[in-house]
Amino acid sequence: MKRGLIAATAVAGMLVSVAACGSSGGNKAGADGFKGQKLTVWVMSGSNPAQWTRQVSEQFKKKTGATVEFKVQQWNGIQQKLSTALSEDTPPDVVEIGNTQTAAYAEAGALADLGDLKKEIGSDWNDAFNKASLVDGKQYALPWYAGNRVVMYNKKIWAEAGLKGTPRTRNELFKAFDTIKKKTDAEPLYLPGQNWYFFDGLTIGTGADLVKKQGGKWVSNLGDPKVAKAMDIYTSYQAFSTAPKNKDEATPQQAEVFAKGKTGAVIAMGYEAATAIKANPKIKNDIGFFTIPGETADKPEGVFLGGSNFAVAGMGKNQELAKEFLKVALSKENDGQMVKEVGWTPKSPDLAGAAKENPAAAAAAPAAEKSGGTTPLIPQWAAVENVPNPIKSYMTAVLSGKSPADAAKDIESEINARLAKQ
Amino acid sequence: MAVQLDDAVDKTAPRTGKGGAPPGRRSPRSPGRRTPPARRTPHPPTRRAPYLLLLPALLATAVLLGWPMVRNILLSFQNLNMKELIQHLTDWRGTGNYQEILGSEQFWRVTLRTIVFTAVNVALIMVLGVLIGLLLARLGKKMRLTLSLALVLAWAMPVIAATTVFQWLFDSRYGVVNWLLDRLGRHAMAHYDWVGTQLSTFFVITVLIVWQSLPFVALNLYAATTTIPKELYEAARMDGAGTWKVFTCVTFPFLKPFFLATTFLEIIWVFKAFPQIFAINEGGPDRLTETLPIYAFTEGVGNLHFGMGAAISLLTIVVLLAMTAYYLRLTIKQEQQEENEL
Amino acid sequence: MKRSLAGRIWPNATAVVLALGFVFPVYWMFNTAFKPTQDIVTEDPVWFPLHGTFEHFATAVNAPNFWILAGNSVLVTVLAVGLSLVIALCGAFALTRMRFKGRKGILLTFMVAQMAPWEVMVISIYLIVRDADLLNSLLPLTFFYMLMVLPFTLLTLRGYVAAVPKELEESAMVDGCSRRQAFLKVVFPLLAPGLMATSLFGFITAWNEFPLVLVLNKEPAMGTLPLWLSQFQSQFGDDWGATMAAASIFAVPILVLFLFLQRKAVGGLTSGAVKG
Repeated sequence: MKRGLIAATAVAGMLVSVAACGSSGGNKAGADGFKGQKLTVWVMSGSNPAQWTRQVSEQFKKKTGATVEFKVQQWNGIQQKLSTALSEDTPPDVVEIGNTQTAAYAEAGALADLGDLKKEIGSDWNDAFNKASLVDGKQYALPWYAGNRVVMYNKKIWAEAGLKGTPRTRNELFKAFDTIKKKTDAEPLYLPGQNWYFFDGLTIGTGADLVKKQGGKWVSNLGDPKVAKAMDIYTSYQAFSTAPKNKDEATPQQAEVFAKGKTGAVIAMGYEAATAIKANPKIKNDIGFFTIPGETADKPEGVFLGGSNFAVAGMGKNQELAKEFLKVALSKENDGQMVKEVGWTPKSPDLAGAAKENPAAAAAAPAAEKSGGTTPLIPQWAAVENVPNPIKSYMTAVLSGKSPADAAKDIESEINARLAKQ
Repeated sequence: MAVQLDDAVDKTAPRTGKGGAPPGRRSPRSPGRRTPPARRTPHPPTRRAPYLLLLPALLATAVLLGWPMVRNILLSFQNLNMKELIQHLTDWRGTGNYQEILGSEQFWRVTLRTIVFTAVNVALIMVLGVLIGLLLARLGKKMRLTLSLALVLAWAMPVIAATTVFQWLFDSRYGVVNWLLDRLGRHAMAHYDWVGTQLSTFFVITVLIVWQSLPFVALNLYAATTTIPKELYEAARMDGAGTWKVFTCVTFPFLKPFFLATTFLEIIWVFKAFPQIFAINEGGPDRLTETLPIYAFTEGVGNLHFGMGAAISLLTIVVLLAMTAYYLRLTIKQEQQEENEL
Repeated sequence: MKRSLAGRIWPNATAVVLALGFVFPVYWMFNTAFKPTQDIVTEDPVWFPLHGTFEHFATAVNAPNFWILAGNSVLVTVLAVGLSLVIALCGAFALTRMRFKGRKGILLTFMVAQMAPWEVMVISIYLIVRDADLLNSLLPLTFFYMLMVLPFTLLTLRGYVAAVPKELEESAMVDGCSRRQAFLKVVFPLLAPGLMATSLFGFITAWNEFPLVLVLNKEPAMGTLPLWLSQFQSQFGDDWGATMAAASIFAVPILVLFLFLQRKAVGGLTSGAVKG
């Protein structure tokens, strides 16, 4: 998962190194041997919220006597940076890796085995969260946070259209959009043509697989009728929007479009509300969330669980200390803080309480639990999502009038070429 | 042999090259010809001097370009993916990378596309650049200053900034271009998707590259025309030559070396254009606007198949050499002639 | 030979249209940088920043390490360009004024060196620098930037050196100067404008370089401004206002340099380009 972590409001400005402000004071409670050491943790820009960072740094220092330095990485060129950094003599000790990218790094031998640690601290984690950390049954990373999309809607516009309550099935949702279209001058939904992770969620909902094994090799399964069905659903959604068919939700940021107050709803991550509020503080009280409804009321729409894992560099010199860090960073308390502060989906039942404090997380939780999934968890998959992502081209082609089957045919050779390498 | 010293000092652009003066109309002050030395140098240089002077440049090139180049060549015979990079492994695969590339239809398609793309852009840049340069020469002082200033601003805009702005200008929903077309009555263009097809994406890229490159050609051409002796123009005009005739009989022959050299540089620059193409649509849609450098980058660095990328990059140099071979040979021949004259 | 009224109007009219076309994207960058976010994402373009704000500039300048990165950029760029000028001038002088064996081969080498595919060679360079244990240092960066601009600088300077009449140098030597003195006292002052003009190309190239610094210097305090510029435009969404504000800040030094050196640049590159 890549797009999407803008997050956490204004944090980006103040990140860099929080290590310096950890409270010291000669605490001797730490395990011996670590005192005075320094641990380097790479996190992606926007991933670590301020309060979480502060309390993790403090608790880590208290526990081990060592300091942690968070180094915030920009997304631009991260793959080159991360793969080269992991080849160096002194790699970062702990790195954040997108959950769908983890398999590729594990396969390359870059990551340490964390099986014991998982048993120790993560026995009650939701499997949907943990799946992405496993390669051939071995645990190469631990899930840090994940989230899934919800409907973020403008309460004022919905009230203006006379809508009460929130839709519980897809049909009800489409009817609501129709009403908004007729009764107000707002755009019922803003959905650009390339919101690929929403589409991935729809394929999870229809039970489609994007790849299949053929003669011992992974090949594209985009021509599958179930994928076409998911694309049909996307097309019906997109018909309510005049958003560009060739752009994704980040150009321009859909939250900024939503912030203008002329959009009924967007399919968004919970933290995008912060972006909208930053662009237009007045919108704050109009923002509401609900779970993306599915075909029937009892099962929400399929969603892509996008998020990040923490991994320990296989060549790192401080692996024991790195594991100590993970014990602190992934404790119940700190996981709860991620849910509360950013709106991530709770990864274990114990965190449901924390989710109540954040409406977006509360709306996301049911779908994650009942219909959450990811992209295909094979090492080769990361290459498919590299820019230019062929599936985004597929989506634009279908929305521009091609039949899903023809569009799939056009793009499959590219996907197969990418799956074949390595 | 009069030397136009004043020009050399004032305009700093005195010598337009060798053999530039049009045949039969050589003016007494013809600056275009290299003046043969009046006499032998009083203190002949020691034999080592030229080598010593060139040593730093050659050494730097050998270490900083030659060495990475050798390394690149070695890589092109290896299988170097993320795994090999991280574990410091060396996995030779012989000519496998080359076989795979040369055997793929895609490489040849990209090569052809790159050549056409370069040709179209360089032609546009040269023709429009010359027209604007000639226009500059024709304008009054104030207007000339205004246009020069505009050209300089465009020229100096950092590539990263320029590509960002162009993406924004051509945005399908919020872009100024579509807004303008809509206002001008082309309502079908109101939400036109510029990066939706191969041709329209290339159109945007071409506008960007031409916009960035014109100032160099136009301003230099204007400066070069100022070195053409006025007498030549006057003579041509007296013979009753029109604008076109003056250009073909005076300006062009006189500035031929300039045209050759500039075309050579533009071919290299356009061929190697990277951030412009990558930023507009990452080589899309469907990889249909990838040129060779983008192709090499996407395969090599983007998909982490560094050996493959290295092999493509070397083939790229071969293509570029072939495209500029004519000029390289010409230059060497001229240098030979000059040496012989001495 | 009086021109008709139309004959006088159309060049000026064309010039105005062209000037607008060339300036507009530059103007749009500054305009966007000063507009509040609400006015940036809009279907009806806002032509003037009527509700001007410095908010985006604040975001850009307050980004971590901005001043350090700016310092690094200036240092690396100036050093790289300065070094390349010195080295190139020596070489250009030899190639223009002296006759020796291998001259044409060397010339050809530099012409071909202009074609180097730096973007893809990044990984080879990375491996070399990594093995030399010189990652996270400004030194390799300076040297490689120096070389990126060296061939062009050398070939361009050749044009300038050729433009200085040999007779000047010779008469100085007749007056008793050594060849070195003749160069320093007579030739060099004449070359100064050319050096400044040539340096522009180097400044732009070194100032803009991104792929190499991205992998060589991962230590945040060892980066350069292009890294900073790219952070507002990333995979999780583009902050257009901040990007444009950053781009404006990024562009201003080069714009000023260009305007300052403009005349020399224009006159100068001609002779250089001619020599190819």
